[in-house]
Amino acid sequence: PVTAGSIVVPYGHVIANEKWRGSEVAQRLQGKVRLIFEDGLGLVDFHLSNRTCILLISEADLVAGDEFKRRLVRFRNASSLRGIVIVEKTQISDQYYFGVQKFVVLELGMVLLPVANQGEASQLIIQLVSFCVREQTRPGVANPFVLRPRSRPAEPALLRALQRIPALGSAKALLLLQRFGSVQSLCNAGSSELQQVLGQSAAQQVYSF
Amino acid sequence: VPGGPSPSLCILADSREISSGPGVLSCLRAVHGLRVQICSLGSSDYIVSNRLAVDRLLQSELQSPGNRNRLGQRLQRLQGIFERICVVVETDRVRPGETSRFSQRTQYYDGVLSALVQAGIRILFSSCQEETAALLKDLALLEHRKDAAIQVPTEPEGHRRDILNFYLSIPNLSYAAALNLCHSFGSVTAVANSSVPALAAGARLSRARAEDLHRFLRHRFEPPALP
Repeated sequence: PVTAGSIVVPYGHVIANEKWRGSEVAQRLQGKVRLIFEDGLGLVDFHLSNRTCILLISEADLVAGDEFKRRLVRFRNASSLRGIVIVEKTQISDQYYFGVQKFVVLELGMVLLPVANQGEASQLIIQLVSFCVREQTRPGVANPFVLRPRSRPAEPALLRALQRIPALGSAKALLLLQRFGSVQSLCNAGSSELQQVLGQSAAQQVYSF
Repeated sequence: VPGGPSPSLCILADSREISSGPGVLSCLRAVHGLRVQICSLGSSDYIVSNRLAVDRLLQSELQSPGNRNRLGQRLQRLQGIFERICVVVETDRVRPGETSRFSQRTQYYDGVLSALVQAGIRILFSSCQEETAALLKDLALLEHRKDAAIQVPTEPEGHRRDILNFYLSIPNLSYAAALNLCHSFGSVTAVANSSVPALAAGARLSRARAEDLHRFLRHRFEPPALP
């Protein structure tokens, strides 16, 4: 059974698959986040928000073979949720990690994060949840890696660009911009028009450029 | 070689990687047979396709809060330039006899990972420089399959070199896009007079970025705006 993501996660809560009740992850999460157990989550282990969920792959899953791959593919095909795969990367399962990463990140295009044990997994989930919450309240603001669009004046960049043309320093570049206004009109200027601003040899160099 | 990289597969590497990642570079060339062009990229460590930039980060860099601002600025700048960004988190080399300094996973580290995930930045983990090279090759292959590979000559000479330098000075234009412009258009004038769709096709840019480029080329200079 695959649930295709109609789960509504209450604000600041985590919905956990019933099978994790009593596990180390669940115990460590309790008290830090508001945890709700639910039956019938299907392939998903934890829902962090309405659109983000976690699939947990244990050391044993990795060693046991390809069953976890089938599970991930089924999830990928059935759900439009953003799936974060957390995998137990231990001394034993380490050798499989490279292949798993290639499969999950490059082939399936999902997020894969390694942890050493269930304790680390719970710590990571707590951070992920807090980011989900922050994202819902103030989108993008709290995240240092999200590009905040800001408009910079183009003038300094224009001046720098023109100075890359051979024969032009800052003074001549400024004169040209004042006379012609934009890169486009400068490009379409005739050599005699250029000569009105620059000396003959510089005008010729700019024109042939 | 069935399934192997095609001979045209090309990666641009920043010149700083000569000192910080020599193992990555030599492995890319010798083991995987990729064409690696060293350039002064400035923005990212590697450019793998027309739209994908890869930054190689050591795990210790992600672990220390002191790097937070610098890393944030760098990745934000990359997002201004590239459609897709990937970071490869490489395990630091441990000298013989030295135990790993970062056996304890910190809350801060998990926070950084969460922020990267939330920002839509792809994360790969590597245990050494050789593995990083293999990941770069896989990424290049994947982008090649999606028809985004860099397929123009990467070393223009003479006059074309000057023109490339001019394109490189345009804000938020990647090195790959600048190379494409050099290759697809006969002159700067041809670029300046092109429509947005023509720029998008010639430079292999998205519509939005082609619009930015178009706007820049036609921006009317206002002297008072200069500092």
